[in-house]
Amino acid sequence: MSTDTNADAREQLIDLAAQFYDQFQLGEIPSMEVPTRSKTNIELDEEANVWVYGDRTSTRSANSVRGARKLLKAVYTIEFLANQLEQDRSSTLRELYYLSESWDNTEAHFNDQDESNQLIEDLEIVSEVTREDFHMRPEESGATIMGPLHLREQTRRGDREIHCQEDVGEGGYQIPNNPDTIEFLDTDAEFVLCVETGGMRDRLVENGFDDDYGALVVHLKGQPARATRRITKRLHDELDLPVTVFTDADPWSYRIFGSVAYGSIKSAHLSEYLATPQAEFIGIQPADIIEYDLPTDPLTDSDINALENELTDPRFQTDYWEEQIELQLEIEKKAEQQALAARGLDFVTDEYLPTRLEEMGVV
Amino acid sequence: MTSLQSTLGDEPGIAEELADNQRAISIAEFFEKNKHMLGFDSGARGLVTAVKEAVDNALDAAEEASILPDIYVEIQEADDYYRLIVEDNGPGLTKESLPKVFGKLLYGSRFHAREQARGQQGIGISAAVLYAQLTSGKPAKITSRTQGASQAEYFELIVDTDENEPEISVEEATTWDRPHGTRIELEMEANMRARGQLHDYIKHTAVVNPHARLELREPNAHFKFERATDQLPAETEEIRPHPHGVELGTVIKMLAATDSHSVSGFLQEEFTRVGKKTADSIIDEFRDRYFGREMAWTPPETHETADVAAAVEDATANKGAQATTDFAEGIAETVSNRERIAHHQLETIVDNVADNVGDEYGVTFGSTVRENALEAAWDAIIGAAETEAGEAADTEGADTGPDDGTDSRLVADLYRLSDEATSTRKDDEVVHAFAVRLAATFEDLEDRRHRLTAKALEKAVGRAADLTEEYDDVAFGETARENVREAIWSVMVTVPDDPPLVRELADSRDATSDLVDGMRATNIMAPPTRCLSPITDELIEAGLKKEYDADFYAAATRDAEVSGGDPFIVEAGIAYGGDLPAEGSVDVLRFANRVPLVYQRGACATTDVVKDIGWRNYGLDQPGGSGLPNGPAVIMIHVASTNVPFTSESKDAVANVPEIEDEIELAVREASRELKRYLNKRRSMQKRRQKQNVLGKILPEMAEKVAEVMDREEPDIDDAIARIMNNVLVEREVEENGESAAVRLVVENHSSTGESPEITDIVSAEPQNLSDGASAVEVDGEWFISWSPEVPGGEEVALEYEVTSETTFDVDVKGIEAEKLTVTDQ
Repeated sequence: MSTDTNADAREQLIDLAAQFYDQFQLGEIPSMEVPTRSKTNIELDEEANVWVYGDRTSTRSANSVRGARKLLKAVYTIEFLANQLEQDRSSTLRELYYLSESWDNTEAHFNDQDESNQLIEDLEIVSEVTREDFHMRPEESGATIMGPLHLREQTRRGDREIHCQEDVGEGGYQIPNNPDTIEFLDTDAEFVLCVETGGMRDRLVENGFDDDYGALVVHLKGQPARATRRITKRLHDELDLPVTVFTDADPWSYRIFGSVAYGSIKSAHLSEYLATPQAEFIGIQPADIIEYDLPTDPLTDSDINALENELTDPRFQTDYWEEQIELQLEIEKKAEQQALAARGLDFVTDEYLPTRLEEMGVV
Repeated sequence: MTSLQSTLGDEPGIAEELADNQRAISIAEFFEKNKHMLGFDSGARGLVTAVKEAVDNALDAAEEASILPDIYVEIQEADDYYRLIVEDNGPGLTKESLPKVFGKLLYGSRFHAREQARGQQGIGISAAVLYAQLTSGKPAKITSRTQGASQAEYFELIVDTDENEPEISVEEATTWDRPHGTRIELEMEANMRARGQLHDYIKHTAVVNPHARLELREPNAHFKFERATDQLPAETEEIRPHPHGVELGTVIKMLAATDSHSVSGFLQEEFTRVGKKTADSIIDEFRDRYFGREMAWTPPETHETADVAAAVEDATANKGAQATTDFAEGIAETVSNRERIAHHQLETIVDNVADNVGDEYGVTFGSTVRENALEAAWDAIIGAAETEAGEAADTEGADTGPDDGTDSRLVADLYRLSDEATSTRKDDEVVHAFAVRLAATFEDLEDRRHRLTAKALEKAVGRAADLTEEYDDVAFGETARENVREAIWSVMVTVPDDPPLVRELADSRDATSDLVDGMRATNIMAPPTRCLSPITDELIEAGLKKEYDADFYAAATRDAEVSGGDPFIVEAGIAYGGDLPAEGSVDVLRFANRVPLVYQRGACATTDVVKDIGWRNYGLDQPGGSGLPNGPAVIMIHVASTNVPFTSESKDAVANVPEIEDEIELAVREASRELKRYLNKRRSMQKRRQKQNVLGKILPEMAEKVAEVMDREEPDIDDAIARIMNNVLVEREVEENGESAAVRLVVENHSSTGESPEITDIVSAEPQNLSDGASAVEVDGEWFISWSPEVPGGEEVALEYEVTSETTFDVDVKGIEAEKLTVTDQ
């Protein structure tokens, strides 16, 4: 945590305040422009092969009562962040929400945490400083890594060297909020396997999959937190490991893969920093449902809606995904990862994953 | 006793006995039994009605004499009764007329007049006198003083209910402090339960009579309603009746009374909007009804067997061969040039040709010759000559197929007309059979001129159609009959016969009825409106302002319209906001000829119309989307007419007459549109104010915080606020130059529309070098600079001047709503 970064981040924030100040002085209406954060305003950055925001912007302007309140809150938050950086402290998003209650001006209080989260995202985008550099962190997501990886983490209590199999319990190594404090030392891993559900992660660990195949099992815990995506990207970039993603076979899980591989719509401004475009989807694919005759649930209306939405989502417009999604719409079924247990507890580690990995050319 | 039947023959005296019991009922007696009809059905209501009648009379009297009314009403408790006193400053009544006005029912100057007035029947005040005497047994006490009279006359009188005549018990001279006017004092059984209605009546009277001063004193209260204008209502002029608005009985009476001899003269003399041309149109309509029209037939064409020339030639004798031929051919040629010809038209032709040919050959065509020629030619045209031959074969109904090929001329003509008039789906044969039957009617007519009234034609067509339905087993519906009727009626022509003289008409109810129908059927210009005296929108607003403390007023006066020959004008007014109660539904004030209608609100056309309007559209709350709207508003409606149609004699509710309802709706909507504009504007101003209030708090705080973060001075945010609010910003810039100072007063218009503020800058030293057409006036050592710039949207203008330094300023801006204005003057 260099003081340099702190000073830079702080300067960026103050610049933003200065912009409002100048607008007032010039008799202009204070305003702040941010890219529109919606599905229709993301585009593929050809160079980095990740999805970033397009040209459309939304204006937060003091022209309306709502806009003025937003900007007032922004200024209060800027002040808070600047002070936090100066004192080299950090806080969570939730703390910021509660902290606003202590501000003398009731107009500046946040109504809910979505509002404060969104404001932080706005500030991130406009100041081009990441939330982590503001020292704002989410609640621990609890995502973990298990596998043959040796690393060094800077903690507030000094550096710790940890091996993600030998130095950790069954639960694995917990990914810190800012994975950039980690230095990779050594690894015997062949590839990274990101797993959606805890049940499947435990199954893989129990069956010794990480040992047998040299896999770094990253537990995503549903929609992955930024830190999880960041460390996945670093594992790929720095250790040159292929990344695979293993989820349920339903539209929501495809989005989990989407945010690992292409970046999420909400944080498209950070896609270059968070997304791993080379990540590959293992399954469960709709085709697997048929091939292995897995136990299924019928698609609900909202599932169908979500699938159709994905067909128009620029991130999923590849031949592979169109084929899979259309197939699923046709069979009108979805399946969980654990459905593989229908063919025995070892089926996933002995049969399914090795077959898929071979197909994909990972092992 | 046995049944009446059995005794009838035995006792011839019973009819006489019964007749003995029958006698005329005096109008006063009638009233006694039917008080409710005139609004005296209860003690509570009786008091209100008595006040109403007395005040209406007083207002009429003063206005007629062009005096601004000043009316005093007092109600006292007098033992078991209530005493009502009404005083006016009218012209007073003469000794002769006074007893009749108050003591005789149906006595008045207005009943026969077509002119807008409050009272009309001459029942009101005398009915109040009668009611008082019936309930308390006391006479009416009346004081009156005519203008310039040295003293007043005092009467005590009652109505003799048998004779409907006043019965005077006291008559004496007295002194009175009013220089002229009338005072009436009545004692009656009454109660004050209808106090609300009484107050409504007085207050509403004040609204529609802003030129009147009213005072009401009750046992425990005292109200004064001051004048809002010195302008008397426009004087009305009596008009003659309009032809569309008279009944048969009235016309019979008018016919008996007129000095005119001819109907045309009568019409022009006695009715409004009837000149020579209109009278002629009415008479034509009358002729069609009275004489009927003559059927015009198509003349024979050359290839037809019917030969007019030959027929005439045969019928004419002893006039010389050449003259006879010329005569016959002249007639035939003229006839053949016409599309259709009726009997009287043929007669004119025969006469003209006879005169011409006679002149040419020096022979005289006498009346017998002409008659013979006319008859022969007519027979040829209607084909009577041929049918005589085949008469035996051609009888009604039986074998009348189109096949026999020898259609008479009339059948052919009627077939063509009927075929065109009926739908194409009708079989040719059916139409033909129908034409044959209809032709028979014409052939059988006793009047060989083929005259039929519209009614007779209808009957004839109906009969032919019925027969066709019966024998040919087809439908010949009402629409087909009507179309045929119209087609035939339209080719028939009005006859030139002279209408009967007035005295002949007067004796004939049927002929007069034809005349009334004719008047109704003629298009006549709407009656003049100088007989009406609308309050006018300005005075309606003034009246509402006077009696209701509201934020907004609007009024609309419609143009005059006509209903049943009576012209009428509808006016509407609305007051909104202010002290008006916001809860519950709005008040609807109803007026007819400036008289408030207090009772039977639910039965009134005005209420119905207001209920049917979608008030949400005009910004008023209306639960369920219909019915009376809710909110702090008063809606007033005034119907002025020479004859307001009421639902009953007590004149409480306007009847549902479509023409009047339409106008009421238009008037109310017109006034409501202004209300809508006002409410919309008010709402947007309210929003603007709210926005300004919130932003006025947030933005300075934001500026303060920004300055704190930046560790700099607070930025100036006025311009930004003005821009955000689309406001007009007035700012002063003062540049000190040693001894003097250059002042710039800048008006920045941040809105999109142009503004023209009026700015007054009060300066403590004399300003020099004023720019932009501004002028300075000194008052007590201060200089008032007036400046009225035009500032287009998005632009700014500046007033510049020089003063000595240390001058103080004070700027005042008018002409821009406070919500839109930001003034910074340091």
